[in-house]
Amino acid sequence: MRTGEIALHTNDTGLRVVAISGEHDLNTAPDLRARLDELIEAGDPVIVDLTPATFVDSSILGVILDARRRAQEAGIGLAVAQGDGADAVARVLEITGLREELPVHDDVESAGAALGDRRPAA
Amino acid sequence: MSEPELDLTLPARADNVIVVRQAIAGLGEALGMPDQRVDDLKTVVTEACNNVVVHAYDGEAGPMKVTAAADDDSVTVTVSDQGTGFRPRASEGGPTLGLGLPLIASLSNSFEISGGAGGGTSTTIRFALPSGKVEAPETDAPAAISEELNMAISPGAMVKPVIARVIGALAARAEFSVERLSDTVLIGDVVSAHTGDDFAHGKTQIAITDGDGTLDVRVGPLVEGGGRRLLDQMDLPGDQGSVRGLARSMEITSDETEDGEAAEFLVFAVGSD
Repeated sequence: MRTGEIALHTNDTGLRVVAISGEHDLNTAPDLRARLDELIEAGDPVIVDLTPATFVDSSILGVILDARRRAQEAGIGLAVAQGDGADAVARVLEITGLREELPVHDDVESAGAALGDRRPAA
Repeated sequence: MSEPELDLTLPARADNVIVVRQAIAGLGEALGMPDQRVDDLKTVVTEACNNVVVHAYDGEAGPMKVTAAADDDSVTVTVSDQGTGFRPRASEGGPTLGLGLPLIASLSNSFEISGGAGGGTSTTIRFALPSGKVEAPETDAPAAISEELNMAISPGAMVKPVIARVIGALAARAEFSVERLSDTVLIGDVVSAHTGDDFAHGKTQIAITDGDGTLDVRVGPLVEGGGRRLLDQMDLPGDQGSVRGLARSMEITSDETEDGEAAEFLVFAVGSD
């Protein structure tokens, strides 16, 4: 068992990726909110990568939904990925309908492709 | 419904939800639930705890109580508080009941929310069990109050996983080193193995207070001589040494139970040096 960590890095296409690993809930939701707020305020398109997460609750999903709304209002891309990650996270995304609603991409690359315009020409 | 096999009381704080979640995961595994249903149980109990943390006490401190009992075909978990209840109020950007209640409703086999209006709220969740679950004897559940975290577990297969997971969650939160974490789990395993007659109420009872990088653990009330027998269990067979030395301190204390009866406790502290 390990508690959750939130790591920020820039991927090889220059996109900011917030990777969420371990267990995340009400306790870590404010940290995630602050991280995403910073990026949105800076005008950076962002990928939220849930692949390394082993547990997320409704407060984390709420933070992601809020961030996506604010990003849309600011005209900034925000995409969510959950690749070959924990079944527990996949299930919550399915049950809440968020896999389609957000949508959730199968990996960081396709999430990056969905943000399109920031991807440098190949 | 049978008497609770797990009884856990701790402050209604966001950082305690993971402790409850780990205890419940240990219980689900011990009951032979499939992995996916253990995941679902963790989600549902987390959402019920979230409601207590966010809505029960209006930001003030207060207890969150979690009990679990299993019979032949289901496990019932109740998450309760003594607070003001959920209120239907709009929330700007803060946590809301939004997705929590639908998750509880869709992942549990049945659920019920009762109380409110100042008398505290209880969320009772039932999950079906696969046939042939492990049997756990029933005993009276002692009241658990006052310490940071209070836990009472009936003898049976869930004692070890529940204690290991609760200790693991608290040790991770206290940022124990991997080595210190494994020491702590080892001591927890000895306590887990020592179920039965030495506990005054027939259940493994543990109170844990977490301080600055330390966990203060109180095991008991124990019957007379129980503290010594538990302490002796800390000595490993042959010349493998003792796990006593892994704790910063370990001693037997005498105190009174809430009923005013004399009782022994094994008290130890684990954590960073």
